[in-house]
Amino acid sequence: MRTSVRVAIGVAATLAVLGPLGYFWVGSLVPSPYDMSAMGTEDFGGGPAVHSHGGTISVASLTGPTTGKPAVDVTLTARKQGDRYLVNGTSPGPELHAVKGQLVQVTLVNDNINDGITLHWHGVDVPNAEDGVAGLTQNAVKPGQRHVYRFVAQHAGTYWYHSHQVSHEQVRGGLFGALVITDKSEKSGNGAAGSKGGQPGAPRQTAPSGPAGAPAAAATDQVVAVHTYDGRRTINGANGVSTMQAAPGATIRARIINTDAGPIRVWVSGTPFKLLAIDGRDLHDPGDISDKSVLLTAGGRADLQLKAPARIDVGAGVALAIGGAATAANPEPRDTLDPLTYGTPAEIGFDPTHPTRTFDYRIGRRIGFLDGKPGFWWTINGHEFPDVPMFMVRTGDVVRMTIANSSGEVHPMHLHGHHAVVLSRNGAPATGSPWWIDSLDVGDGETYEIAFIADNPGIWADHCHNLKHAADGLVAHLAYAGVSTPYRVGGDSDNHPE
Amino acid sequence: MRATYRALAGLIALGVVVQAALIAAAWFTVLHNADNGSVFDKNTGYNWAQIGHSVVGLMLIPLFSIILLIVSFFVRVPGGVKWALITFGVVVLQILFAIFGFGAPIVGLLHGLNAFAVAGVASVAMRKARLAEQPAPATQPAPIA
Ligand SMILES: [Cu+2]
Repeated sequence: MRTSVRVAIGVAATLAVLGPLGYFWVGSLVPSPYDMSAMGTEDFGGGPAVHSHGGTISVASLTGPTTGKPAVDVTLTARKQGDRYLVNGTSPGPELHAVKGQLVQVTLVNDNINDGITLHWHGVDVPNAEDGVAGLTQNAVKPGQRHVYRFVAQHAGTYWYHSHQVSHEQVRGGLFGALVITDKSEKSGNGAAGSKGGQPGAPRQTAPSGPAGAPAAAATDQVVAVHTYDGRRTINGANGVSTMQAAPGATIRARIINTDAGPIRVWVSGTPFKLLAIDGRDLHDPGDISDKSVLLTAGGRADLQLKAPARIDVGAGVALAIGGAATAANPEPRDTLDPLTYGTPAEIGFDPTHPTRTFDYRIGRRIGFLDGKPGFWWTINGHEFPDVPMFMVRTGDVVRMTIANSSGEVHPMHLHGHHAVVLSRNGAPATGSPWWIDSLDVGDGETYEIAFIADNPGIWADHCHNLKHAADGLVAHLAYAGVSTPYRVGGDSDNHPE
Repeated sequence: MRATYRALAGLIALGVVVQAALIAAAWFTVLHNADNGSVFDKNTGYNWAQIGHSVVGLMLIPLFSIILLIVSFFVRVPGGVKWALITFGVVVLQILFAIFGFGAPIVGLLHGLNAFAVAGVASVAMRKARLAEQPAPATQPAPIA
């Protein structure tokens, strides 16, 4: 064969190899900066076509009450110390308490965090502008700057706040705290509404468990914020077994919050218990549970009711011993409580059998490029970020969503601004209490059907709460007709929500 | 050019050896951290050896095998294109075994076994290039052009 022919064949073969690679590589590049609301493919879920970008309603206008004196008025100052993120000098940050109906005002101050920060009110269905997602509902708060959040506490329950700027690093590093909303102020054994927290300068890891200043013997309401710092699992910042004072026979409400990246199993020794609430929504007619653990997804909350003395284990040898005499720890139960069949049915307030829109959120994984970087990346409905669906709705739509996971790993899926009710898992219908969620553990091979009412206009993140996964592209959005955002992600915007 | 082909094939084979070493170090690191009271869970980031394993396995070896394939189009090594293609194929298979291993850990066995195939075929490609370099008039076709 002549050399020139050989070379020509070689060049052609080279192009055949490099062409597709280059095509995929270029296609994976994310524009910078970009408009989150203009990303991906509009998905109308079989309903009428509506559009968001070019819309006339700005996210920035969808605020909480702009007038009125707040009943809870707290300033939270975040600073970075080494690789730890502290809020008012502690991690977890101060425990915030509010009573249903109260106006809450939180002023976030950034002391020295160069990446910028925000606060997202995880599980609280706040107005869109208060949602705290950098580049979508606000700009990241830079060092020396502040940002005021105002919203009305509408549903009693257990929630938490955390940064939604470079969140996979900042939340892991400790930029979070608990938020408890109670029906009436006396229901919280810890006293009046407001903020409680550790002492300035003293990370909570070294402080005893429980909010500082709580009347030790009278406490019946206990936040159990679980977080793993550098491979050390903790409850309210304390490693090992923490103790909580309680009179024998006292009824305790333990508010377990999973602030970690993966699911945890929670079990109780010494007494049967009830699962009162999941994700800030009470369960109907909860029965006694023994010999079962509760699987708590990343970002999720579970409120347990139990009688002292008792012990709550959250895995890795970390536990809360309640009420004096040490209760012996049972081994982790083999069975896990299934919320699909727990409690008894009740009205959910809408009819999910005739949805306005039905969306698919299929999670997969493939080899490819993400913004030019080769690796294993998550896909949504077969496409990688940023080519992901934009779920389009109008206010008042009844929405069904099928979340299916065939990606090989578990994903704690978190929808902002809404609570959804679980209809079925792997085709088996929910037969117990209405099971409302904002964070749902979707294991590999599992398919969930959920439904919700589109009743909170804005543009909302709908992402994996293993925040590294979100940073790796497992994030889509729910967008209301006519709403657009003035904020941008990436580039010189300095906004990096995941 | 032939030396490049040979060097790339050698780097791929060497890469497999490095991968085996890294994955052993990765596991001992995990066990050692657990010994010191660390939790190994979804919060746990990759340790240095796991990061190394994914850099070598998802970037360097695929890159080398693609360049090997391209070089093979221009170099005169008997069976050069064939062995570069086979190498590329088993590297792709190796990555597939890795990605399916997350959902079905048993596939990890195939990932481990196929590593020997990657090293083996890359070594064959390397030897083909070395043989082609040696002056062996009986087997080497006379240069054309
Ligand atoms: Cu995930």
